[in-house]
Amino acid sequence: MESLKDEFLDILSNYQGILHKVSLIYFRNQADREDNFQEITYQLWKSYPSLQNKDSIGSWIYAVSINTSISKLKKNSKIEYRDNLPDLADSIDTIEKISETENIQILLQAIYNLSVINKTLMLLYLEEKSYDEIAEILGMTKSNVGTRINRAKEILKQNLKHLNHG
Amino acid sequence: MDNIEIESIWKKVDSKISPKSTEELQELLALKIKKTVSKFYYTLCIDITVCIGLIIFLIITALNRPDDNIYQVNNSILCLITILSLSISLSSLIKLQNNKYNLSLSDWLGVRIKLLSSWLLGKYSKLYIVLIPILLIMINLSIHVYYEHKPFVEVLKNEESVYGLIVGFIIGLFVSYFAINKIRKYQINNLEFLKELNSALYNVR
Repeated sequence: MESLKDEFLDILSNYQGILHKVSLIYFRNQADREDNFQEITYQLWKSYPSLQNKDSIGSWIYAVSINTSISKLKKNSKIEYRDNLPDLADSIDTIEKISETENIQILLQAIYNLSVINKTLMLLYLEEKSYDEIAEILGMTKSNVGTRINRAKEILKQNLKHLNHG
Repeated sequence: MDNIEIESIWKKVDSKISPKSTEELQELLALKIKKTVSKFYYTLCIDITVCIGLIIFLIITALNRPDDNIYQVNNSILCLITILSLSISLSSLIKLQNNKYNLSLSDWLGVRIKLLSSWLLGKYSKLYIVLIPILLIMINLSIHVYYEHKPFVEVLKNEESVYGLIVGFIIGLFVSYFAINKIRKYQINNLEFLKELNSALYNVR
């Protein structure tokens, strides 16, 4: 059991960036992000013994992280299912704390304004996951992934344009 | 902003993340396991204690009324329903605890939607509307008749007792329906959200 735990902690330590980034795109508030990070860690630990293919650890971590975050979003009732832009003021305080770079702030703001699915697709796209991996993580067809990513990119660009001119 | 620019900005996010040490991760995991396990056992304990407490009450009161057949039948039925409710609630709690997230998003959504739909919209999901009033009447009668120290039929003939039972029944019914509706509303919203996500996965908007 201890060796399993050590092995798990090693993996977690190496891949924790995924957990941080998934939490970052779904939650604007630092406390929610920390809470989500902890929840993902626990869910990963729970499903680790049943992980069959250790070659696709990355995909497994993304899948668990995304599913856990989405389930938490609803529980927290902070979901904003929209592609339209809200007032910038409602999230700027927390964004400032996350990032010092203005460009990151603007990009994050534009991502926050995407729908949950588009947010997820953009995260995987920006993380340079292949269409095959994205299809596996989301359970979509490869062709659907391509179409959806192009659409999500368009909306993201519109959001960015809006923010830059706003 | 073009794709390359967006991608290069995203890469900078990594430098803004402060990674946790293995010790911090270990501590965080241990804390979460402890919290989750305690919450699970706490809920389990309350559930079991309430049901067993009620079963003991029903058995003792029935044993103290060996000659009142209607009272014994009332308590026996209540006992059976309580045992059944206990086993259903325990299996639901365990199912919830075993919720696995290591599936693709669409599979995970499918499993959650199926589970919530069977609870909220399934064949027996509206059974509570009939079951709660019946249970309330039976519990009210069981307690009231026992403390009146009179046979079952005699209590029902007493006007004052009947009024008391009606008032208790109405209040109990209101509180029960209110609580159940609140929980159901929350869970139905959850279900709608999951269904919305599931359809958004396949529809290009």
